[in-house]
Amino acid sequence: MSKNPPLFDESLLSGYLDGELTQAESQRVRLHLETDPEARRIFDDLSRMRQAARGTRFRLPDDRQWDERPKHSGSRLARDAGWLLLAIWLVATTGFGLYHLAVSPEGLWLKLTIFAPLSGIALLFGSTVLDRLKTLPTDRYRRVEK
Amino acid sequence: MAIPQPSILTAPASAESELVSLARSGDAAACDELARRFRQPAYLLALQLLGDQEDALDVAQDSLLRFFTKLHRFRSGLPVKPWLLSIVRNRALDLVRRKKVRRAEPLENEEGDYRPELIDHGVDPETDYARRELKERLWRALGLLPANQREILVLRDYQDLSYAEIARVLDVPVGTVMSRLHRARAGLRVLLEREGSAGFPRSTAL
Repeated sequence: MSKNPPLFDESLLSGYLDGELTQAESQRVRLHLETDPEARRIFDDLSRMRQAARGTRFRLPDDRQWDERPKHSGSRLARDAGWLLLAIWLVATTGFGLYHLAVSPEGLWLKLTIFAPLSGIALLFGSTVLDRLKTLPTDRYRRVEK
Repeated sequence: MAIPQPSILTAPASAESELVSLARSGDAAACDELARRFRQPAYLLALQLLGDQEDALDVAQDSLLRFFTKLHRFRSGLPVKPWLLSIVRNRALDLVRRKKVRRAEPLENEEGDYRPELIDHGVDPETDYARRELKERLWRALGLLPANQREILVLRDYQDLSYAEIARVLDVPVGTVMSRLHRARAGLRVLLEREGSAGFPRSTAL
């Protein structure tokens, strides 16, 4: 009864390409590449791809662009607080306006014209908050330090 | 805590762990040097994950702020880059979740801001063009991969992290890195081959 050759784990090709294999594993891959033209073809393609990626250069931001960003936790906090206060003001003002609109003697169509888009924005915001709350217990990154 | 200003750098090149120790004790020059060394890799990873320059700058700066704020928690002796890149990655993922900003084709931009710029210019314009074309196609194809494959390819092939460092950034066992990376590379190869008659340019010299 003939024995089948052990299956070759193709991911070893990547390990070999990156120089991350043990000496024995590297030897095994070398032998496999000599006898399997398809594996050789895949390896050559992966090698070309990696070379292309490593040779890719991206335009980097200059000092001015870095300088425009908040550089202190204090300034970042102030910016976040600013957005929060703005959001509170927006909600309070909108709520106040809607209440007065609701109790005013204006016609139904005018009320709907003003009320509908604002309600739409509120619902969109609400759906985003609900999604965030729903995914929070299963969020795999929530305990990761950010 | 403030992000140091690299423009006023005066610190000599020092060992990383020594710099971290000095930065922890409030040494401004050490903080400057750390920021100078790591802000561009932080930006690059953010850009490679998000595909948007402005978002990448925001994420990189925000990550640096967090990096310096949490420096006291950092274990001495470990390399800084994987730790910082894990912060960048988590901030980028947060942004993707919030804004759905991930572009399928990050290179496509009217101003061409996100086009990769080659540093190796050979004497043969035809070869230069072929090289550039392959790099651009590769980058576009990368944008079509699932997020977990894209990030591992970016960390290995564009950021040049070792498997151990990638495992630290992604918080997965080292053994998982090779198989996941190979799946990503195989997927990328298939995408390149599917690109029509031009296909994957087997004869392209790199």
